[in-house]
Amino acid sequence: APGRGRPGGSRRGWRRRRRRRPRRGRAGRAAAAWRGGARRREAEAAMPARRGPPARRPRRALSRGARPAPPPPASRPPPPHAALPPQALTFTGKCRLRCLYGAVRLLGFAVASHQPGLPVFSPATHCALSLEALPAERPPAADLRQLRAAAPFFSLPQKKEESSFTPEDAVLASVGIVKCSSERGLLVSESMLVALEELIQACCAEDEGVPVVLVCGPKNTGKSTFNRYLINLLLNRLPSIEYMECDIGQTEFTPPGCVSLSNVTEPILGPPFTHQQMPCKMVYYGQTSCEQDTERYLDVVKYVFSSYKKEVPLVINTMGWVKGEGLLLLIDIIRLLSPSHIVQMDVYDWKAMAPLTPEYVHLSPGLYTKGKQQAKCKQVGASEVENWRSSEGEGDASAPEYKLLYVHPEFPRAGIAGEARVHSSILRDMSILGYLGQLQSPDIGAVLPLHSLVPYQVPFSAVALRVIHSDVAPTNIMYAVNASWVGLCRIPDEIKCESEGPVLLTQTPVCDCLGFGIVRGVEMERKLYHILTPVPPENLRQVNCLLLGNISIPNCILVGQQGVEGEIPYVTSDYNYSILGSGKLKKKKHFKRREYAFECDYA
Amino acid sequence: MAGRAGLACRPGRPGSSPARKRLKPLRTVVAWRGRAEWDQVMVGLYCGDSRLQQEALDRVSAWKSRYGPKMPLAVDCTAELIRCKVLDSSGRLKSHELILSYGLALVRFVNLITERKQKMVSIPLRQLAKEVDIPIWVVDLRHELTHGKLPRLALCRKGCDVVLDWLRKTYWSRQLGNNLCEESEDEEQQGVEASAELDNDAWEIQTPQHEACQKHKEFHEKVRDVLISYKNEQFRVMQTVQSVSKSRELWSDSSSEVDWILAQIKDLMQENREAVAEALLSDGFLIPKMDCLKMLNIKYEANKELWQFKIPQTFYCFWQPLLTGLLSRSFTQILIEKMFVELKECSDSSELRPQFLINWISEMLTGIAKVNAGKKRQQHCNKQVSVKELFLRKVPLQWIRLTDSCLEAPCWATPHLLQLILTIMRPRLPRSSRKNLLYLASVYTEGGGPLSSPGISSDCSEQPIYTIESLQWRARQENQVKNQAQTVEKQDDVLERDDGVEEVEEEEEEEMVTETNPLEGLAHSGNLAAIAEKRAALQGSAWQITADEVQWKDFPLGKLPGQTDDPDGLMLDNYSMMSLLDQPVRDEWKPPSTNSAELNIPATGGLLWTQNDFHKIKSGLQLF
Repeated sequence: APGRGRPGGSRRGWRRRRRRRPRRGRAGRAAAAWRGGARRREAEAAMPARRGPPARRPRRALSRGARPAPPPPASRPPPPHAALPPQALTFTGKCRLRCLYGAVRLLGFAVASHQPGLPVFSPATHCALSLEALPAERPPAADLRQLRAAAPFFSLPQKKEESSFTPEDAVLASVGIVKCSSERGLLVSESMLVALEELIQACCAEDEGVPVVLVCGPKNTGKSTFNRYLINLLLNRLPSIEYMECDIGQTEFTPPGCVSLSNVTEPILGPPFTHQQMPCKMVYYGQTSCEQDTERYLDVVKYVFSSYKKEVPLVINTMGWVKGEGLLLLIDIIRLLSPSHIVQMDVYDWKAMAPLTPEYVHLSPGLYTKGKQQAKCKQVGASEVENWRSSEGEGDASAPEYKLLYVHPEFPRAGIAGEARVHSSILRDMSILGYLGQLQSPDIGAVLPLHSLVPYQVPFSAVALRVIHSDVAPTNIMYAVNASWVGLCRIPDEIKCESEGPVLLTQTPVCDCLGFGIVRGVEMERKLYHILTPVPPENLRQVNCLLLGNISIPNCILVGQQGVEGEIPYVTSDYNYSILGSGKLKKKKHFKRREYAFECDYA
Repeated sequence: MAGRAGLACRPGRPGSSPARKRLKPLRTVVAWRGRAEWDQVMVGLYCGDSRLQQEALDRVSAWKSRYGPKMPLAVDCTAELIRCKVLDSSGRLKSHELILSYGLALVRFVNLITERKQKMVSIPLRQLAKEVDIPIWVVDLRHELTHGKLPRLALCRKGCDVVLDWLRKTYWSRQLGNNLCEESEDEEQQGVEASAELDNDAWEIQTPQHEACQKHKEFHEKVRDVLISYKNEQFRVMQTVQSVSKSRELWSDSSSEVDWILAQIKDLMQENREAVAEALLSDGFLIPKMDCLKMLNIKYEANKELWQFKIPQTFYCFWQPLLTGLLSRSFTQILIEKMFVELKECSDSSELRPQFLINWISEMLTGIAKVNAGKKRQQHCNKQVSVKELFLRKVPLQWIRLTDSCLEAPCWATPHLLQLILTIMRPRLPRSSRKNLLYLASVYTEGGGPLSSPGISSDCSEQPIYTIESLQWRARQENQVKNQAQTVEKQDDVLERDDGVEEVEEEEEEEMVTETNPLEGLAHSGNLAAIAEKRAALQGSAWQITADEVQWKDFPLGKLPGQTDDPDGLMLDNYSMMSLLDQPVRDEWKPPSTNSAELNIPATGGLLWTQNDFHKIKSGLQLF
């Protein structure tokens, strides 16, 4: 095929290798002839704006002592595509996208006409996706006219009852999407553009080490959307990106409660529940927040990061917990992962979180690590600061060397916690449902109820068991395990058991998680667990440990079981929530945590 | 009523008994398997025997694991207080320790229970306590415990008992409609009601369409009978000559038998053309079963490409006399449309059905093309070839409707069929529109690709254009918008009637489908192979696929065949503990470079924390 792209072998390294997408069927071949132009445009699209000499090395961001100012936005000329208003369609809904003519960009990812159909999901619960037309020659006018000549055939009934309803809407509705206002889409602020440009530059440059980009910021500032956008942009130029998920509450590729490292080769065009995939490395932490056991959390992060090979740029997502201990933990993580770039997302007032300059991180204590100041007494004396300054080139006592990029989201309600469109627990349930969707057979159109599927069985003695999040009396542990969500893990130890009974671990291991399952039933007589899981058999045979965490099966799975005679276990309609004490412990909204005082730390 | 039955709530029961009039609670998920377990725990907690209490507490620990942060406060508080009582009666703790234990449990109870009632502006605890009937002295006791002198043990014990009693009265005995004495009766009644309600629903759904469905079925049977008699006649003819090629000739000579059958079918067609078309397309007629193919000595090719959109000749000849007789202008339209509808429903499967549908459509279209294209030539060779042709006269069809149906049944063959339609279609669409349509169809069916044929392949260098018009056009194809009926109406009055009939029919079809419950069959046939594959992949592993024939669909999650509702059913009598010595120290990770921040832990250097280090840090060992 003529449009195969330049062979990657001539230039060394991953950076130059162009992204090659698999092409299917004859349609792809037929389209190959006019692909050339589109490819060039695709490349241009990947770089929103490439001007001036690229900043090669991460600059030491700002001079010490000075309060870091937000980046000066005014000095930059507006990027080219901001100058001429791009043709864009912001929409909600789902569809399969195939570009027939020219090229478009969807959440950063350039789609040209040679690409096979892409599934696209833009639910109302998330930032809506926008299709932007990439500059291209206009189609020859004659053809358009010809097509119109087929007129009577193409005309749609003109319904005038609702003024807002245009034929265009009907067309979009027929493919499954609804147009919405452009404000619902991703609003790329100036600061975001600058940061993206810098990151793309760094990731595609030849002479630097592989960038490790850590994205942090308070809740609801658009971290995930930024990550998706960044990854999509990078995928225009690179064949793959590594993504490390440290936000155990809202995971991108896995069910909740996991720290994971994924290799991303496909653009992310939808919310997490639409693209659940098996990561290269995954550890089941077992909770949706790490407050209760930050120590194990760090262990887990460290363990997962250890499998990062540093061959491909890495994007790290972090938790939105940046107050109090959360900030200290973030500092620990920064020290642990030593990123080359930190993207700090925050609204302008800096109330939620101090600017994480290298100096600030260098001096501040973490939760488990010490800052420079604390160590002073141990070091050789008062001139230590001076030492540090002079010897920074040698790096033995220098501040962490990374480039800090600020991103100020400008979408409405940015940074206001609790203002997200959907409750986070619902999104978690959606992820789990998305994961369980893999249990459905693709050949059958209908969705089979989970309880009708044939489960796996494994003897008690072959898999160790551990409840992560609470102490359960061992004799009653099966009451906790039955009909629960379990991480299917692999521990290096051999499972030794003295009796036929189950093997209970005395501590929670930090180990590989190969997937998840539902304990469909526990057979006490034959001492078997019955487990429903989409984990493929070749992986399943390695599983020797079940971890039970604080993440439960979505209620709708249990409640919605159809065609079952008699009572459904764990489901009742007789529980009355209006009785006092029937509800859960609620965090008082008006109870405010003491603000973490950081002003003095960087001043 | 049925419409209200959402995912999370079940339809309200008819308010037969006054007690049910209250707001119907939702179906929710709880930590106990069933009422028996709940009752057992409640009785256990409040029984006074500390061994039984401890067992109940153990079960509550499992509930806590299930509930996670959603554990009901009242259960949590009850368990904490009972735990104190168990400790107290064990005699292992001294009075001061006991006061501390009771104290915390009591403080937590008062705070947590009243906090639920707090508003944005704090309300004094005493007032809240009064509202919910907690004795004031218990609130005072809390105050003493947190801000004042530690109270005496006796007072703590008394407080604990009072609070436990409060919890029993306000929570445990009211929850789950639990009025201990009338409970059993109540439950029974519920069961009866529920089942009665189910019956009602089922009945309601059935009645309105039941009659029409019955009638339809009868008619369908009639048509089938006639078609079967046609088949039998053809087979009989074949048996008389032994050779297939001879029988082909014989089949084409119209016999009085066949004529008679034809007349019968035509009669039936007067009554309901659609039903005849439907019967023709049901299994065993135009869509053969395997045994039929065998009898006709036709080798079945699984490879769809090999057939080249042709019906195997013998099979074609078998049906040709009947079809030629039946295929009037209107019936042709109906039959082809029906074929597309059928194709839409089975386009995914890889069986005979879609293959034969595609090939029949293709054959018919080709036949029409021939007869429409060259009338003269057709007449000229009529004498020899007419036996083979399906159509004797020109059949002007409603091509736009056919195009619609074709596009509504997208499958791998759509581009081919669409191209046939577009070629025959009169008046023709502009060339560019045809090209665009074909291109869109091939994109939509991905991999089908535009087939090489004179119309389009020559110039794919020209860039096809996707305009709003073509989208609009698609819109009409895809969603059965209401306004479709209107457009069609303008075009053709007769069609409108057809539409109506078709709709009814579709509904009926759906119902028939639900009656047979297709899921069951599919779940078995489709998955068996996959299961066998998995089983093979798990050879020699501890993980297996359950071999027993279990009707899993009858058992909800958390329940296995043969398991009873016995609340003690999951108790373990033996287990072994295993500790992991090497967890979680892992030294594979190295500090990435010298420029990482230092930790200033001289012993380890850099950022290498081990579990050990953590413990040292935590236990306050001063290393720095």
